[in-house]
This record gives sequence, structure tokens and C-alpha cells, in this order.
Amino acid sequence: MEVYEADVAIVGAGGAGLRAAIAVAEADPALRIALISKVYPMRSHTVAAEGGSAAVTRPDDSLEYHFNDTVGGGDWLCEQDVVEYFVAHCPKEMVQLEHWGCPWSRKPDGHVNMRAFGGMKVERTWFAADKTGFHMLHTLFQTSIKYPSIRRFDEHFCVDLVTADGRVQGVVTIEIRTGQFTLIKSRAVIIATGGAGRVFRENTNGGIVTGDGMALAYRHGVALRDMEFVQYHPTCMPGAGLLFTEACRGEGGLLLNKDGYRYLQDYGLGPAEDKPRNKAMELGPRDRLSQAFWYEQKKGRTLDGPHGTYVQLDMRHLGETRLRECLPQIYEMAETFMGIDPAKEPIPVRPAVHYTMGGILVDGHCATPLPGLYAVGECSSVGIHGANRLGSNSLAELCVFGKVAGSEAARFAKSMPTGDTKALLKQATATQQRNEQLVNRSDGSERIATLRKEMAQTMEDGCGIYRLADSMQATCDKLGELRQRFKNVDVEDKSRVWNSNWLAAIELGYQLEVAQAMVYSAINRKESRGAHQRLDGFEQRDDVNYLKHTLAYYDGEGAPRIEYGAVKITKSQPGIRAYGAAGEKAEHDRKAAGH
Amino acid sequence: MTSPVSSGRRPYMRPMQGWWRRNTFYLEYMIHEATALFVAAYALVLLVGLVRLSQGQAAWDGWLQALRSPLSIVFHVITLVAISYHTWTWFNIMPRTLPPILLKGKRLSEAAITHSGLAAAVIVSLILLGLVWSLWA
Amino acid sequence: MTNTENTIMLDVLRYRPEQDAKPLLQTHCVPFSEDMSVLQGLQYIKDYLDGTLSFRWSCRMAICGSCGMMINGKPRLACKTFLRDIYPGRLRVEALAHFPIERDLVIVMDDFIEKLESIKPYIIEKQPRLLSQGEYLQTPAERDLYEQFSSCINCMLCYAACPQYGLNPRFLGPGIIALLHRYNLDSRDSGDDQRMPLVNSEDGVFNCTAVGYCSEVCPKLVAPANAVNVNKANSAKDYFLRFVMPGGGEK
Repeated sequence: MEVYEADVAIVGAGGAGLRAAIAVAEADPALRIALISKVYPMRSHTVAAEGGSAAVTRPDDSLEYHFNDTVGGGDWLCEQDVVEYFVAHCPKEMVQLEHWGCPWSRKPDGHVNMRAFGGMKVERTWFAADKTGFHMLHTLFQTSIKYPSIRRFDEHFCVDLVTADGRVQGVVTIEIRTGQFTLIKSRAVIIATGGAGRVFRENTNGGIVTGDGMALAYRHGVALRDMEFVQYHPTCMPGAGLLFTEACRGEGGLLLNKDGYRYLQDYGLGPAEDKPRNKAMELGPRDRLSQAFWYEQKKGRTLDGPHGTYVQLDMRHLGETRLRECLPQIYEMAETFMGIDPAKEPIPVRPAVHYTMGGILVDGHCATPLPGLYAVGECSSVGIHGANRLGSNSLAELCVFGKVAGSEAARFAKSMPTGDTKALLKQATATQQRNEQLVNRSDGSERIATLRKEMAQTMEDGCGIYRLADSMQATCDKLGELRQRFKNVDVEDKSRVWNSNWLAAIELGYQLEVAQAMVYSAINRKESRGAHQRLDGFEQRDDVNYLKHTLAYYDGEGAPRIEYGAVKITKSQPGIRAYGAAGEKAEHDRKAAGH
Repeated sequence: MTSPVSSGRRPYMRPMQGWWRRNTFYLEYMIHEATALFVAAYALVLLVGLVRLSQGQAAWDGWLQALRSPLSIVFHVITLVAISYHTWTWFNIMPRTLPPILLKGKRLSEAAITHSGLAAAVIVSLILLGLVWSLWA
Repeated sequence: MTNTENTIMLDVLRYRPEQDAKPLLQTHCVPFSEDMSVLQGLQYIKDYLDGTLSFRWSCRMAICGSCGMMINGKPRLACKTFLRDIYPGRLRVEALAHFPIERDLVIVMDDFIEKLESIKPYIIEKQPRLLSQGEYLQTPAERDLYEQFSSCINCMLCYAACPQYGLNPRFLGPGIIALLHRYNLDSRDSGDDQRMPLVNSEDGVFNCTAVGYCSEVCPKLVAPANAVNVNKANSAKDYFLRFVMPGGGEK
């Protein structure tokens, strides 16, 4: 097996991975960086993010507001010291991106423009048309080319970590176009592999978002934290699940039920006003909007379509000119994929899985409990999103913590000696044999697609917007069954050159384990908080028993072991999570009480 | 990243022969490019005319007489059609090769550029035709 | 799986280098519904009919640039091409033209990546600026100058469209020249001179004969033909200035 020596290995070349790579290169140009990705970097799912990236900019805004919005938005399950660091560093990172060429949309005077976003008190979301993730990713990728110390391993699929002396010392990859294995030794490893939304049936995610890095860390004993918190984005295309950005609502788009009524006002987000008002109505947080949809559906007030029920995203009043200027990609998507002109007709939308709040347990320095292993981006749980993420905090997270992860990994790598190749090669060879057995065997009986679809269906049934103990249990059982059946998975394709069938089987293995962590975390959280809402006697938030993080530990073939960890509270005591008029009153009361 | 150990890779390069026949866009491209030959041919005819003019009245009359032959008429009709098509495609492509032209802060549309170009071509042609006609008459 | 009787015939160009001497067509019968994309048709084949079919895809919304293919002879994105526009006709899917086929519908794109890296696709600052000084000021008009060229998703349909690239793979090509142009036009950048040698070179813009098919097929309306041809004028200007004033033409 080929062995490559690096100092820092980064798995995943999306926004977080690229930012981390640049941070390592700037920290010390002598450090050899291996930037590994199973797709070419510009295909990473960061590219699909649309709305924007938050940073306190306006003089009437403050770090405290951003902090409070985030902690409240996360239903107080955030690590508040980490949130403080985060909000303080967003502005600098956004300016850094701008210096690197990111084409932020501008005000007439040439300064960067900002838009309103869900759950944010003041406009602070920087945006690049309605393709912010696309522009950020391409800016980071193209900027990374400046640094000769970044060596990319494009289309290399990571199948394992290797450890020795109690620390992570590299990764094992398959070069997709040859099917050959490589051991990439390094003194630190950063996982930046993204979320796991593809375990659900209806999702906004690209095919590559399969929780690979989460599973790798998990298998090596690192806890997956708060996995039950899965974000349903309220406005997605029925069927395909493609995202209609929150910016549609930021620009003034309305959500209407089948009677043409702005139903959000019935769910504590009102009163309905003509102009969009921050943290109210359509600019409420995503979990509340998705939950409102669920109730409307129950009441029979949603419309029926070929891909399920839906509500209407009405942007007709914005007019074609403004729509084409501010939301060009959305316009095109509606026209091309749905044959709808948003200036003339409302767009059918329904919630779909969008983001994984939980992930690999890391501290505020992106370090996992396993020395030498770091994680950053959607695959990690650094503590800023809590039980529900605010839109535009995730793109900012990639940059703020990408830099942190890179700096920390660089520091750690320099302090460590290089590992013993023989010992690492032994592990790598074992990994190779295990994975080759998967493809070489001829007695597989289960179709990959069948297992995958059953997994996606059961996750939708058990871990939906609202959850019940018995359906969660059914999902737990089903996933156990699927993991058993996975042992007989059939990889039809026996070749080695670009064998995507083989990789799909390995990804399915990752997904089943991550899905298990999600549902077991969910069934054990006997309260409702943020994106985890129950209708089986645990409808309320329970700060006495559950103001804590869920930690799921890998337990081999069996179900994950669930433990709990403390939540770091500094400035903001758990309060009422209110929006709209109720929110303003609650904020007023808190101020008066001196919180 | 290429591995020193041999792999099963064997990238396959498809031949380019007959590429312009595979697609109506390419076919049309070859046709409008070919009209340039007619432009060249007509320029040659005019050049010959110029030379004949310098050789005196008899040579000039001989050239005019040759232009009146049936074969020549057919050639000129075909050339007129070809050059008209050449002009049409030229002005259609022109906006795609120009940097943006701003008029009062707004970009001039492709259609505006094409139509102005065509209009200019037609107007100049009509003026020339009128001039030649009046001189001849 | 649908209950509908409607199906569409899909011919896919397969190529498994370890077993096929050369590419061959394989036919499948795929269920058809009004909103299905070609990508979904291919996924159906992979899921239920032949798991060995390999192709690149990810976002499904024409922004990642992975799924470029020849669909009925034209370079298209599979996620944004719909079966309803071909049905009841026959669908033919092949790997993107003008690139070597690695496997089935997967092409070797090393050349594109190398070219992308060669043009210095990053801001070469006019004046260094500290983060504490905040953002460079850039008016909407200045941003508008380069925005369309920054919208390239690297799908390479323009390379499949460009016969000059097909005939001469050393040509820098439409998409990469558009990216080069994007940086030259960005008010924050001053790297024009550093990029000019690539524009001027044997493999530069003068390989283009204004076929214009690249702009025609671009799914993001980047207008690469425009970038290439405008740079012909830039190149000529640069050549003339360097000729007339030694060391001239440089900022």
C-alpha cells in the first residue's frame, strides 16, 4: 500500500475543510497538508447553501444580540462560551472572505449589504445574491490554490482513521479511480465531512452528505453529541426536497395555507404585518415554522400534491424585477424544475431535512477527546447551534471554526513526533482487507438501494418533525434489522476503476450507524426542545432533567450507549423561547428583570 | 495523484472525425464560416474589376460584359444570398464577443446591438445601391 | 417504483476498462413520470437494474456541476434535463465529449483542474488591506462587471461544446478563460499582467474561432465566449503596448 507523509490531514474539502487547510498553511508554510475529499472540492455541499452568513456589522447591532439570538434559537442547549467566541469572530472572517474575493452583494455606497434572516434580531446576514454558499466555496477553493503546502487528494474516499500511542496518526483512503488504498500518515487529522441528512427520505442535501466522518470518529470511540436535533427547513421543493432559501422570506415572501391565510400567526409568531419583521411570522426560527406546517397538515389546511401536502410560498408581490435581481437562482429553480413563474404564482413548499445540528463531540478548539483528532463544520458539534440552528450561522461557522481547527491542528502537529509507519500500516492493511472483502464476496443478497430506502423511510417515520415513543422505537428496531441485513449487502460491481457501487455500500454502512445514533438519542430525550418535539406526554421543555447534551457512544453491533454531558451556561439563563409579539414582550421582561 | 502500482485504468479517447456533422449547431457554424469564402470570391471579382478599369475602356467594358453572362448572374445571386447570411450571423454573434456597452448605466442588450448592426448594414447597402443606380442611370 | 405503465428507453454508453475493450451501448427501460430528470432515470438504473453504472452527481439542483453528460448528443446537466422533454423519444446518455472516458459516464478531468490552478484564480491585491480596515469598497456596478463570470459551476459543458478544445486539448478553453476574466475584472484585483502570458500563449485565446456553442450550452449563462473574445482584444492591446513601450502596458 502506498504511504504518504503529511503533517495535517484534512478529510473533506468543503467550506470548513478548505478554511482549515488555509489556516494551517498560514500558521506554518512548512507543514505538509493533505486535503482529502471524495469529490472535487467545488462539488462539496457547501456549494448549495443559498441564504447568507451572519456577522454583526451594523452600528445598531451588537455581539450580545447575536449571542442572545443564537442561544435562544438553540433553545439554551448551546455552549455559551463557544457562542461568545463565535459571534465575536464572525465579522473578521467575513471580511477575510471579502479580501479573498468573495462577491458579497453590495449597498450603493460599496459596503457589503446585509439581509434579514430567521431568528435574527437585526439584519446581519451577509449574502452573495442567493448563492452565498456557492460563492464562499469557490472563493475558498480558488484561494487555497495560492498555498503550495496544500496537497490535494481529490476523489479519495476515506475509509478509516489510524491510531497509535493513544492518538490519531492518519487516515486510510481509497483512490476512487484506481480502487487502490493509501495510508496518509499525519500528526493531526481534521474531519470536515459535513452532515448526514441523506439518512432521511426527503432532504435538501446532495448525494454525498452521508455522515462519513461522523461514523469514522464514532467507531473510534468519540461520542456523537445531540444527534436527535435534525433541522427541517420549512421551505423546500415537494418531492426533490431542493431548498428555497430563507432569504425568500427575508425579502418578504409569505407562507400561506390552502385558504390563502398566513397561518404562522396562529403559532405564536404573529401578529401578521405587511412588512417582514425580524423574529416574527415568516422570519421566525426554522423549527417553529416546520412545526407550524405539521399542525396545519393535521388540521387539513395544507394543499395536496403529487409529492405530498404543501403550503404556498407567495412572492408575487415582490415583482419580477426584484425577484430576478435578489433571488435569481430561486427564480430559475421554480421555472426549470416546477414550471412556475414566482412573479405570477406562489411556489408549493413543504419542510424537508436540511441540517444536522449534532455531530462529533468537540470542545471550543475543535478538538475531540481523542488526541490528534479534530472536527469542524456540520459534522461536528462545537456547541453553537444547540437544539436548533439559526439560518446563516452555519456558513459563518465554517470560517470561524475552520480557522480554529486549522490553527489548533497545526499547533498539535508541530508538538508531536511522527508515528511508526509499520504499526500504522498494519491497521491500514486490516482496513483494506475488510473493505475489499465487502466488494469481493459473491454471496451478498441485499440490494443497497433497498436497504437505503428502508432506512430513509423509517427515519422519516420515527424522527420526523414531531416524534412519538412507539414510532421512534419502531425505527430503533428497524435500524437494528437493517444493520443485520447490511452484513449481507451485495456489491454488484466487482471492478476497481471508479467503482461507485462499492463506495455506496461503504456509505450505507456509515449512514446506518449515524441514523442509529440519531434515533436512540431522540427516544431517550424525554422532553421537547428546539427541533426535537414530542407528542407523547413530553411536549414541554424540561430544564430540570434535560438541560444537558446527549452523547451517543458506538457499541459495535448493538445499539449505541447513551450518556449525558453538561451544558455550559455563562450569560444567558434559559428563558422563554418566544418570537413575534410574544418574543418582544419576553425580551422586554428579561431586560427589566436584569438578565 | 497517480499510483506507481499499475491500476486497471485505461482512459478512452473518442475520435473527433466528423465532429461538425454531429450537431445542427456545428453544421450551421460550418455553413456560416463557409460564407466567408463567398465574401473573398466577391472581393476577388471587384479586384479584377479594378484592374480592368486601369487597363482602359475596352478592358472595363469586357469585364462588365462578362458580369452579364448567365453564369455570372447565377454566381452573383448565390453570393448575395451567402453574404446576406454572413451579415445576419455576423451581427448575431457580434454582441457575444463585445465587452458590455453601457447606455445611461444600463447594459445594451444583445438584441439592441444586433439590430443596430443589421440596420446599419441595410442602410449603408441601400445608400450604396442608390448611389450606383443614380450614377449608372 | 411507480405503478404507471409509462416507460422510456434509455441507451447508456458504458465503459468498464477492466473488461470492455471499448465503450458500448447498453439499453434500459426506465419508468417515466412528468417531473423525472435524466439523473433520476440513471439513479433508477443504478438502484434497480444495474448497480455497476457509474456517474458523478450530488446536489440535484444545477449548482455543484458534477453531472455534466452528453444527452441526445448535447452537453447538458443530467439533473436539469427532464425526461418529459424527450419522451416518448429515446434517450441516449454518454460521457461528456472531448474528455477521456474514465468509466461509464465519468470523464478524466485532470486537465481542467490543472488549467484552473494555472491561471492564478485568486485575488492578487492592488493594495494590501488589513482586516481591521474592513471590506474593500465595491459598488454594485463594479460587482456587476464580473458577476456573471463568477457564476461558473465548473461543469465543463463548455469544454464538451468547444470543437477547438476537442481538436486541441492544450487550448486553455472557455470556462477557465471565463474564470481568468472574472479575476481581471474584479476591482480588487491587479493580476491582469500575471495572467496575460496565458491569454497570449499558443494555447490561449487565439485558439478560439467564435463557434459560440460554449455560451449556448452554459447552464449558468456565464457567456464564456464573451470572456474569450474580449480577451483577444486585450491580448492584442497588450502585445502592441509591449511592442511600442518596452516594459509598457504594465500597471
